[in-house]
Amino acid sequence: MTPRMTTEVRIGVLRLADSAPVLVAQERGMFAELGLDVRLSVEPSWANLADKLAYGLLDAAVMLPPLVLASVLGLRGPKANLIVPMGLTHGGNSIVFGHGDGAHGIAHGDRPQVLEWLKSQPNPPRLGVVHHFSTHNLMLRYWLALAGACPDRDFETIVVPPEQVVDALAEGRIAGFCAGAPWGDVARLRGVGQIQVGTSSIWPAHPEKCLAVHGNWAVANALPMLALIRGLLRAQAVCDRPSEADDIASLLARPDGLGLPWQATRMALPGGSGIEQIRFHTGETWFPAHAHAVWFLRQMRRWGWLDADTDLIAAARMVYRPDLLAPAVHAEGLYSAACVLSLEGHARLPMPNDPAFSPALAIASSR
Amino acid sequence: MRILLADDNAERARAVAHVLAADPGLVVLHHRQTDLLADAVIALKPDIVLVDMARPDRDALEGIRQVTNRQDRPVVLFVDEDDPSFMEEAIMAGVSSYNVLDVPLRDVKPILRAAMALFQRHQQERDRLHKAESRLLERETVDRAKAILIRDRRLNEPEAYGWLRRQAMTRGLRIAEVAKDVVRGKEGSPA
Repeated sequence: MTPRMTTEVRIGVLRLADSAPVLVAQERGMFAELGLDVRLSVEPSWANLADKLAYGLLDAAVMLPPLVLASVLGLRGPKANLIVPMGLTHGGNSIVFGHGDGAHGIAHGDRPQVLEWLKSQPNPPRLGVVHHFSTHNLMLRYWLALAGACPDRDFETIVVPPEQVVDALAEGRIAGFCAGAPWGDVARLRGVGQIQVGTSSIWPAHPEKCLAVHGNWAVANALPMLALIRGLLRAQAVCDRPSEADDIASLLARPDGLGLPWQATRMALPGGSGIEQIRFHTGETWFPAHAHAVWFLRQMRRWGWLDADTDLIAAARMVYRPDLLAPAVHAEGLYSAACVLSLEGHARLPMPNDPAFSPALAIASSR
Repeated sequence: MRILLADDNAERARAVAHVLAADPGLVVLHHRQTDLLADAVIALKPDIVLVDMARPDRDALEGIRQVTNRQDRPVVLFVDEDDPSFMEEAIMAGVSSYNVLDVPLRDVKPILRAAMALFQRHQQERDRLHKAESRLLERETVDRAKAILIRDRRLNEPEAYGWLRRQAMTRGLRIAEVAKDVVRGKEGSPA
């Protein structure tokens, strides 16, 4: 046995299938072989992850990109110094409506028929999302607006924890929801709701969860940071293999770990039969594109959460740090470091004809 | 000031409510577990929400003004930017506070501090209980290991204990850990 330096890294995760790369890297020794001693902390809420990162009680966490941006801009409390060195997953969410009140016809045709359905509703229907500053909320609003509805006037959005969202729908406390896997399929299997659309249909290969770290930690721990990203890159490649999905579902289902339901989790992993499959590696899920951050920020401004003065491009560049990812991708032999940064030019965005967002403008101004 | 206490631990919630109720200027509100936390905030219109950080529905309080167009007053996470160690302590204690924006910092801090003290005490009691339980469990394990050694290696009790102690010293483990291995059958069978 050769003694070697190990660095302790505290990583926060939630009980979600998107946490798979962190658990796989830990379980299969990818962190250990890179000299990291990782302590996992399973947290009950996104707010806990954001607070513990901000106050240094966690070094890194699986996070929602809009929540990281909101934390940095001081929209939920203090301005926190958080950065995103890599993406973790693409896709995986679905929009589900209950069976009542003729919601069946909504998904027909090219555009969701939300306006027709709204006419039959006496009050603004309530929709559940997992966090205010979530990809789920932004994509749900985007989809409703695409149909010509005004999310703030025509709907009421409330936050319901993912584990409670199916029960809330069954009990009629919400008319629908947008949540991550496996909850859309769970609602469908239980017969309490109909999946209107998977979020990958709204925005193909959309960024979902990311890795967030404290800016100070990243500066003070350059080598552990590189090792952390490398370990996760290795785990992401494993998570994307359908042949591994049974094992990974079992790992996520362990009662002493995340305790997720095995079957519904398996459906959301690559090769599964759910409405959405999470992607962990294919399509450069790990690349934190500035264009993605700008899209989230523009949507936040669109709904009045951000003032007109905030420089969105500057915020995106400050938070999303592909420069920290590049050496790790190079070291893993995926792309040369110079090539990694050019992936920015391949970042995909939803619906280029959407008047609320012009990708041409974003790309031009971020150069 | 109206304080909504979102804590499912009834005993702790009672203790916090008891302390806060001593101040005649405070009204402590509870919400039914069957209600969504967001609904309770809309219905009860508290100035401060004290929330147990172990609750998954804590996320319901984030950005609540934007979430409900009927809530006209913004609710924000309590932060004392000048006192980061206080914030860290609150997180460690497992309690956080959301306030209506116009409630001044100096009014909130003592309330949060009082809640923190009770959360910390509760945590310490739980830790103590946990330690006591595991000590008891360890003692049982050592007894079972001794019984195995007495049977399989034909040792008397002091010899069995001596064996465990020697193993612990050479392997750099605690006696309880060696005992655990013996009980699991790793070391218990005669060589």
